[in-house]
Amino acid sequence: MPPDENDTTVAQLALLSRRLEREHKARLAAEVLAEQGLRELYQTQQELRLLVSIADTANQSSSITGALRFAVTSICNHTGWEVGHAYLNHQLPAASPLRSARIWNDNLAPAFAELRDLTEQRSLVASDGWPGRVLAVRQPVWIRDLAAEPDAECQELSAAGQLRAAFAFPVIIGEEVAALLEFYCTRVQDEDPSLLSLLSQVGIQLSRAVERKISQDKLVYDATHDALTGLPNRQSFRQLLAQALLQAQQRDTHCAVLFIDLDHFKLVNDSMGHHAGDQLIVHVARRIRSSLQRLELTTPPDQYARPSCGGAVVARLGGDEFTVLLEDVIAESGPLQVAEQIQEVLKQPFQIYGQDVYSGASIGIALSAPGYYSGDEILRDADMAMYQAKSRGKSRCSVFDRSMRDLAARRLTIENDLRRALTRQEFLLNYQPIVALDNGEIIGFEALIRWRRGSTIVPPSDFIPVADNMGLIIPIGQWVLEEACRTLRHWQNHFPRQNPLTISVNVSPRQFRQPNFVMQVGRALHNAGIEPSALTLEITEGATMGNPERAIATLLQLRGLGVKLSIDDFGTGYSSLSYLHRFPLHALKIDRSFIARIDGSFQSFQVVHSIMSLANNLGIGVVAEGIETIEQVEQLRALLCQFGQGYHFSRPLTQTDAQQLLTRPVVCLTR
Amino acid sequence: MLHDGIRIHARGSFRDIAHRTPSSSTESIPNMMGIVFNLLETAVSRTYGDAQWHQLPDKAGLDGAYTSIGNYPDADAFRIVGVAAEVLQLPPGEVLRWFGRESMPMLAERYRIFFEGHSSARTLLPTINRVIHAEVRKLYPSALLPDFSFEDAPTDTLRMVYHSTRSLCDLAQGFIEGTALVFKEQITVEHPHCKIRGDHQCRFDIRFRELVPTNSPLAED
Repeated sequence: MPPDENDTTVAQLALLSRRLEREHKARLAAEVLAEQGLRELYQTQQELRLLVSIADTANQSSSITGALRFAVTSICNHTGWEVGHAYLNHQLPAASPLRSARIWNDNLAPAFAELRDLTEQRSLVASDGWPGRVLAVRQPVWIRDLAAEPDAECQELSAAGQLRAAFAFPVIIGEEVAALLEFYCTRVQDEDPSLLSLLSQVGIQLSRAVERKISQDKLVYDATHDALTGLPNRQSFRQLLAQALLQAQQRDTHCAVLFIDLDHFKLVNDSMGHHAGDQLIVHVARRIRSSLQRLELTTPPDQYARPSCGGAVVARLGGDEFTVLLEDVIAESGPLQVAEQIQEVLKQPFQIYGQDVYSGASIGIALSAPGYYSGDEILRDADMAMYQAKSRGKSRCSVFDRSMRDLAARRLTIENDLRRALTRQEFLLNYQPIVALDNGEIIGFEALIRWRRGSTIVPPSDFIPVADNMGLIIPIGQWVLEEACRTLRHWQNHFPRQNPLTISVNVSPRQFRQPNFVMQVGRALHNAGIEPSALTLEITEGATMGNPERAIATLLQLRGLGVKLSIDDFGTGYSSLSYLHRFPLHALKIDRSFIARIDGSFQSFQVVHSIMSLANNLGIGVVAEGIETIEQVEQLRALLCQFGQGYHFSRPLTQTDAQQLLTRPVVCLTR
Repeated sequence: MLHDGIRIHARGSFRDIAHRTPSSSTESIPNMMGIVFNLLETAVSRTYGDAQWHQLPDKAGLDGAYTSIGNYPDADAFRIVGVAAEVLQLPPGEVLRWFGRESMPMLAERYRIFFEGHSSARTLLPTINRVIHAEVRKLYPSALLPDFSFEDAPTDTLRMVYHSTRSLCDLAQGFIEGTALVFKEQITVEHPHCKIRGDHQCRFDIRFRELVPTNSPLAED
């Protein structure tokens, strides 16, 4: 080989060698880059996997603590840190300091036991300390070395727990920190920004899951609780009752249901408005609950010694109806005692919008007994007993017995028939003359409703309370008003007088409180074509109760219309004398109970005398009701009472008979 | 010829695995991390020269690229080790142990982060499973990794139990010795129980005789 060729070969070899060297270096460099990429990819995948698994588990978890437990364990596994722990606001969604959720991932169990106990006892507040500072900054915090931190908590953790590095992050919902997760390891660790950002993400995922859980819980709560009072609602009461009944049967004990209905709720609702009604319900719920709590506190632990019962649950079925479930009832006296206690607390006045409101309650009691197969049957019977209590007068208590079922059945039939009575035109009016006591002249009539039910005539006392309860009193009252006006028109046409005949119509409290009542009266007058002054509306004192100012406004509007107004059954109700002078009245009607005793009882005489003086002072007239004897007439004349009505003059008459009477307009007043 | 050569020199562990060629395996092929080939290349090149290394794949009839981030059949590694044993005239077990010993200082150079904070094999070896293997998985998610556990032993002894489906206990011993080299420690390694010898597991008793320098050589950089 020529020398220059040899040189060339050597040079080429050197070139190749250097090239190989460069290629080798390039490969190593490429490998480093690729390794770095793979490592980052792996890291990202792991982080994503952690995040997804925590989010998935949190979303599927049936409890918040389940989700937190999984997160604590997963993060410990991901980081290889020895200790993880979660704090939780146990009062969610209400604001409350965080306390240990007793969720631990603890691979240092013996060394860490004491610190663990201390942690579980503390309640966490935002502070400079650890991990309170996480609450203060509301984002993840990393501590490289607890031993190097100034605050006492860190020192304690590092000394007692041999812990060095720590991090913690909050789970924030709205403005509140709902939970806090903290982690520790026994080595000093530099802050890892990518881990911290991952933890922020975990915090967000957890907060979403917790939020969802809270709203799910709220849905369940709302479905089983009454929104106004927070008490269990009808549905959950029925469930509780069914369970209690089953348990009572298994344990051979009894349970009882108290069915509570407020006595003047409709009155408050109608006269003071729905907000006032709601307020009353809230107060009542509170009182019943605290009354039951007191009962539980005073119940001696010895079950043989205690007269009452075990557990008690109060629920609101709706409207003004509450129920109480009593378990482990030993004797009937237990539920009765509870009922009396509830009645006692409900008797005290309630402060509603600055006014004293009196309520009271009627309570029906039913006890579980052989023969009951479902809670619904007990509930129904307690309801029946309540109705019975109510019909015996307000604020009473009845224990269910089987005869009540027949009564209830009768009532149900009445209700069904009443519903059809208007369309079938089964109502009719009777008319009782009102007479001028000085000359015996019939000045007008009081229209009185009757119900022709099949072949019998039902008196108002037997169906008006039922109609009132059903709300049917409104259309019935309207019919009475219109029918009475039509009849009067007819009579005024046929029996013209210098002082035209008048008609008095009873107005129920409910009817009176209707917002458009004045308009209804105006329309009835207009349709019949009678002078407003020929119509007297008789209202009871009850109609003005609750909201006297509103009653005064309605009365003034009616007087503005030209209609006359009188107070019916005067002296029997809650006479609000302070308002009486402000009511634009034309007359007071003295209740028949006073007239019946006027000639035998000095007290009754005095009452009538006082009413007369009152009416005189107010410048209004007086009508005496229920006059049955001439002696009563004479007494009343002596007291200068102007008008009267009663069997002494005439019983209530059909329209035809009344017309007959009108042909001889002066009624005999003397013996 | 090649296989005969391997068989002549192989000890149990090596023989068992070396004959499992890809074509004869019905299961999924166990893979060796590319870094092992890299390390072998460096070790052979440094000790015996580039030329020696480059003839090994040729002699083994292999043409893999053997980059650090790839995975290659176990059989490739064993063939190369087999050929190396032939060329270097050493038993394959010795080659593995030598390779393990040489690899550790190279790994310490390449992945120094794992060695930082340690001044002795005594503290580093127990972190292999938790720290080093965790890192290995980032690059080789499907890697078949051995497991090292530690048992109570006299104070001057670190008792390590080695589990691996590959039974490369010679390599493991080399790694242990190589780790001591990194920290300039003098150790003796006994191997009283060996799976290849019929025990149910491999156990190493590592005795630290003397700690020559107190600090890691890495700290001097």
